[in-house]
Amino acid sequence: MNQIASQNAPSPKVVLPHYIFGGLVLLVVTMLIIYHPDAFVQHFFNPELLAITHLLVLGWITMVIFGALYQLLPVIMEVKLYCEVLAKFSFVLLGVGTALLAFAFWRFAFGFLMIIAGILITISVSLFVANVLKTAYTSNKKIIERTFIISSTLWLMFTVLAGLTLAINLAWPFLKVSHVELLKLHAHAGIAGWFIQLIIGVSSKLLPMFMVAHNVNAKKLNYTFYAVNIGIATGIVSLFIQLKLGVVFSVGLVVSGIVAYLSFLVEAYIKRIKKQLDIGMKQTVLSFALLVIPMFLIFLLLTNFNAMKRLSLPLSIAYGTTIIIGFITSLVMGQTYKTLPFIVWLKVYRGKVGRVILPLPKDLYSEKVALAQTWLFAIGFAILLLGVLISAGKLVMTGGIVLSISVALYNFNILKIVFHKPKNK
Amino acid sequence: MDNTNSEEKRMIEILRGVVDPELMVNIVDLGLVYGVKYNETDKQIEVALTLTSPGCPMGGIIIEDAQQTLENNYSDCTVKINLVWEPAWSIDKLTEKGKAELGYF
Repeated sequence: MNQIASQNAPSPKVVLPHYIFGGLVLLVVTMLIIYHPDAFVQHFFNPELLAITHLLVLGWITMVIFGALYQLLPVIMEVKLYCEVLAKFSFVLLGVGTALLAFAFWRFAFGFLMIIAGILITISVSLFVANVLKTAYTSNKKIIERTFIISSTLWLMFTVLAGLTLAINLAWPFLKVSHVELLKLHAHAGIAGWFIQLIIGVSSKLLPMFMVAHNVNAKKLNYTFYAVNIGIATGIVSLFIQLKLGVVFSVGLVVSGIVAYLSFLVEAYIKRIKKQLDIGMKQTVLSFALLVIPMFLIFLLLTNFNAMKRLSLPLSIAYGTTIIIGFITSLVMGQTYKTLPFIVWLKVYRGKVGRVILPLPKDLYSEKVALAQTWLFAIGFAILLLGVLISAGKLVMTGGIVLSISVALYNFNILKIVFHKPKNK
Repeated sequence: MDNTNSEEKRMIEILRGVVDPELMVNIVDLGLVYGVKYNETDKQIEVALTLTSPGCPMGGIIIEDAQQTLENNYSDCTVKINLVWEPAWSIDKLTEKGKAELGYF
């Protein structure tokens, strides 16, 4: 029998803790939004927002991405994961490091605790990057998706090293550039270099597969790769030397790359054989619709109109909120239903066909709960965004309450999937 | 599958009980079954099966399910599932029923 992807799947014990931890962190974040909504209606460099942001990007999004990638790398690259032990160490270090970092930010305590947290996260990411690079090295599949994944992990490494440098600079200042400008550099390396590129690399393989779309023009992705990478590198240098024109050029380049990628997805959507979209794919469509908002906001933020200057603070927070909570969080939530049930399903039913009642992977979670979760998320996010835009703390809190119910439902489904047991015939 | 005999046709009908877990359509109407050969003398069944994509993470279970389903119905036979990639699966392989179940019309 030929080699097939499911034979390369890692142990679920490596993957599942990432989903459980990530889901719980997201729930904690919604509680923090309710407890301290004012974090979203002042300058973005405030302790609570920094703590919330790092919990989201590290404890929730990066955590779930790590787990999902350990499962998906064998699917995309058609080889086994290089080392499962490295993955387990990386999980523990990322979890502990993120908790310490969020605590240090919340207390606005710059010093040893923050630096120790940064070092733990840096070691965790180094182990993850080594695992991905060694896995990619053993693969013969020299495809664009592989290039995106490799590139994104290198940007992740850069991002955490830049973050650690910022933490040291906060305690013992040695860099001459404004800390807020350095923060933008660190954030965009993470958002565009790590998250967006990783999402492009993985989704350009998986979404056409989920929709059963063949003969989609993948050449667009080559343009995306160069536009995004040249754009981020130009943007980082321009932010560092404070060259506005360079920043505008880099934003244009990155956005054009994302547009090329979106046109790839639209082509796959049009050519799809599976016409009905399940709940996971519906939430995925919602997330890509939300991606249009920050692509528009960034150009607004770069303009020099007087009216815009007055709005620049709420617009900056709205920009970050739509990317991290709007686009990436809803995408991760949606894709959870496309990955987690299959991981558990394969674990539970492999070798048991014929002896137990074989359900479909979608039977492992409640579709009604997932649908309610998606609607509540869309409503909660809309309220939160409105609260941010008009700087209304009570609206932010209301948005947080609705989002917390959505996330509680999401966690219910995660636990339902993870603890699924087979029924004998 | 034009040269199939009546027993092989029956086996193909039995394989309609095997469903692709992602697409929720049986593997025959998806056009994943390229052929079934039944050797009555050797009591051997060979199935040529493909997947919608080489990376399909459900491949292992689909193969296992097809094997188990035939073995349950032909307990005196040896069942061999051969995974094939040529010709590559495409939309043309779907039956009319398969297209309808995917909402293609």
